[in-house]
Amino acid sequence: MNKVIATLVFIIIACSVKAQHAGYAPVKDTAVFRQQFAAASQKINSVQSDFVQEKNLSMLSEKIISKGKFWFKKENKVRMEYTQPFQYLMILNNNNIYIKDGQKENKISTSSSKLFQQINRIVIDCVKGSAFSNTDFRINIFENKQTCLIELSPVVKNLKDIFKTINVTVDKKDYSVLNIQMNEVSGDYTSINFVNKQINASLPDALFTAH
Amino acid sequence: MHCLPLISCMLVLTACSSSYKHLQRSKEDVSCIQKFKPDFTNALYYTEVNVVGKHLSGLLLIKLMPDSSTRMVFSNETGFKFFDFEFSKDGNFKVFYIIDQMNKKPVITTLRKDFEIIMMQPANMQHGYMSRNIDSGYNYYAFPQEKGFNYYITDSICNNLIRLERASSRKAVVEIEMKDYTNGRPDSIGITHTNFNFNIGLKQLKKL
Repeated sequence: MNKVIATLVFIIIACSVKAQHAGYAPVKDTAVFRQQFAAASQKINSVQSDFVQEKNLSMLSEKIISKGKFWFKKENKVRMEYTQPFQYLMILNNNNIYIKDGQKENKISTSSSKLFQQINRIVIDCVKGSAFSNTDFRINIFENKQTCLIELSPVVKNLKDIFKTINVTVDKKDYSVLNIQMNEVSGDYTSINFVNKQINASLPDALFTAH
Repeated sequence: MHCLPLISCMLVLTACSSSYKHLQRSKEDVSCIQKFKPDFTNALYYTEVNVVGKHLSGLLLIKLMPDSSTRMVFSNETGFKFFDFEFSKDGNFKVFYIIDQMNKKPVITTLRKDFEIIMMQPANMQHGYMSRNIDSGYNYYAFPQEKGFNYYITDSICNNLIRLERASSRKAVVEIEMKDYTNGRPDSIGITHTNFNFNIGLKQLKKL
């Protein structure tokens, strides 16, 4: 009888894991993983990459694809430049956000908005590898042979209203980010794939300032 | 000094005069404007919105659904969704999603009416008639709405769409330009509200 129950429990757990992330199993020793991840992230001082963003609108069976270039420099500098099919530039530099869309330029201090602070931190955390210390999220970690999947589930209301989960896929080779997928409550999601990555290339500070 | 009451009266009369007083009703058919109905089977526009000093930009996807309704989703460049509207063929309208900051009845009604005139939905194109502006020579194709009128203004031979106007009985409250049709839809659309600072600009994007 106990064997039957144990088998049933195993099937239920296996199915629920499979339903969460196909091809991934939960990381057994998360403490070890966090240590390895933190140590590897310490070695990443800069990232330069192309990206492909896919906005998936589930109800409309529609995808909007955009492309661009991405730069990250320790500690808190990010430049995201969309080049196709539109031009859009976003620079996060410590507590400031600079945005240029079309002919308009905007400078925003993240200190003026809690949501901007939180979103700013998500972006930085994802690329810097410090997501584990973000208390806005509950964190689950999964792995397969090549990659790890860090699932961030928001625990604070304003983020819970927007995101169901944010999944960050990292390469086991160097713990650099391969993909960020932001899943909305509605079932829509935005996925950003980082390709042609260069780790620790020399990046001038001027990249992260508004010209 | 004695002129003051007279000037005041003239100002009041001028303010009350209709922008449409030079229109002369014609018996011509209104069907010729159907060729300007945009083909929104699947269209993507880069969109900039300026409203009372605030600026928003992003992507507006317009898609004809299998049930003949038209869905319109506006999200910013990084994928953050602002709104998701449905315009059904019979004139009904549904808000699937809108961010809290925009979730106000006047905002939603204004956007609904602005896009209804652009989409040239059959439900908003009933009981139309044509008038000619005796000053400009333009044709004014008028369609009565619950409040006011929708005007489609063309040249005298209905070959070029000059602009669209959403109007009260006296004056335009919204002016819309739809320019450079390619693949059956305007390459750019400009929406200007005349009574408050609210402008929307759309530029067609080639989907990747």
